Amino acid sequence: MRITRRTKAIAFFIALGACLVALAIALNVGWMIFNWRQAAPLVLGIILFPLLIAGLVMNTIFLVREIRRNEQQDSFLNAITHELKTPIASIRLYLETLESRPLVEAQRRDFYHIMLEDTDRLLGTVEQVLKASQVRQGSLRQSWQGVNFNEIVSDMLELTRLRQHLSSSALHWGSKPSDEITVIGSAEELRTAVFNLFDNAVKYSGEEKNIVVDILTPNIDTVALRVLDHGVGIGRKELKRIFARRHGGDAYAESEGEGLGSTFTMRLPRVYRV
Amino acid sequence: MSRILIVEDEMHLAQGLRFNFEAEGHSVDITERGEDALTRLVKNREDFDALVLDVMLPGKDGFSVARELREAKNYIPLLMLTARGRPEDVLKGFESGADDYLAKPFNLAILIARIEGLLRRKNWSRITNSATGDHARPDADSQDSFRFDDKIIDFQNLQLRSGSNIVQLTVMESDLLRYLIRNAGHPVSRKAILQEVWNLHQDTDTRAIDNFIVRLRRYIEPKPSKPRYLLTVRGLGYRFLSNPEH
Repeated sequence: MRITRRTKAIAFFIALGACLVALAIALNVGWMIFNWRQAAPLVLGIILFPLLIAGLVMNTIFLVREIRRNEQQDSFLNAITHELKTPIASIRLYLETLESRPLVEAQRRDFYHIMLEDTDRLLGTVEQVLKASQVRQGSLRQSWQGVNFNEIVSDMLELTRLRQHLSSSALHWGSKPSDEITVIGSAEELRTAVFNLFDNAVKYSGEEKNIVVDILTPNIDTVALRVLDHGVGIGRKELKRIFARRHGGDAYAESEGEGLGSTFTMRLPRVYRV
Repeated sequence: MSRILIVEDEMHLAQGLRFNFEAEGHSVDITERGEDALTRLVKNREDFDALVLDVMLPGKDGFSVARELREAKNYIPLLMLTARGRPEDVLKGFESGADDYLAKPFNLAILIARIEGLLRRKNWSRITNSATGDHARPDADSQDSFRFDDKIIDFQNLQLRSGSNIVQLTVMESDLLRYLIRNAGHPVSRKAILQEVWNLHQDTDTRAIDNFIVRLRRYIEPKPSKPRYLLTVRGLGYRFLSNPEH
């Protein structure tokens, strides 16, 4: 009941904060009424009470923010748990099946193949966790160098098509600048971030996929990668939170993917420059 | 042959489960979304003998699916299978109407045993109902039923009968009632209920039990807001009285 407990805690702190603010306002008004003929206490009250009210409001805001942050950590933990346990559960299920049931050779091969895919998924999750942690620590700036951003996006576009078995019309270029765009950074980190964006666009596109990729250079020191899918979209309220939670908004509600990629992808541009 | 519906968005797991249940002689259907499961079970009234339900699903999560199924008076034996294995998640699962809960990664033999247990229970219920007629009263003196006032709890068929009214209980509701009745007249703590009924020994929030009690009161009390049979013992837990003073 950790989450329920926190929701109740938020309600409690908001209610307490509101009550204290109301009390402070009542005291303030009372003070003014009782001391309206005495200038010194009246002025003192008018200055101190708003300060008291501001302090209470700030305190409530910080408490609520802290509780929300804990909630996000909880969501993230759930996401990691899911992403780690699911392939392990699958591998274990197939191993126990192989051990306990008579199987024909074709079935065995199928099961080995599934287990290999699950192992890859598990490895992918572990790598994402490690990379997200690296980026959090400010990345390894010593190894940064000039990399061709167009080439990276092109490579990842091809890789996504290949891995997701997509046609060239399902994931395609919109506008691609002819000049080479050089970005200072780690090619590997950029590849991961770009691949995550494409991967999410594919996941959330539904059956009919039409994903358009653009590289834009609005000014001399900025490069923007726009990935436009035609999926369910993200509600305005959810936009602020998509990188902090496992899923990309209520509409997606815990679809495939663990949110680690999103976290990584969001943090990377903050530490990069063109 | 029993029909099992698996609601699981991870296709590898779903296929592995299908293979094993089919090897045990059951027929299996798979759906990836909770909404589809609700449509098939509630709207289309498709006949399944058990439901294996993941919690973290695209769209509606497993807890909501279970809750909506029970609200629609669908009492299909339901096993929740999920990566969320913390005690509070297990309780939330039972609270939403699950009959059993298994955390991933699981042991295949245990999963099959639990599903067989749920199917066996459903089968007993079916046999009893077809042999005696749906509205027949169970033997009040038999070990698997309990009579108090005008009510009979049929633990075997998971039914509470009050006059002509029949309430279908979930396995967990029935187990909780059985535990309270076994300790009739004595207060039982929330902690003891957690340990004895749900087999949870960790430091879990015991308030989840209160929601179960509210539900049970709705079934057995003439006025749930003024309980006579299922009393709250302040600061401790609950006490069941089969024959309260009038």
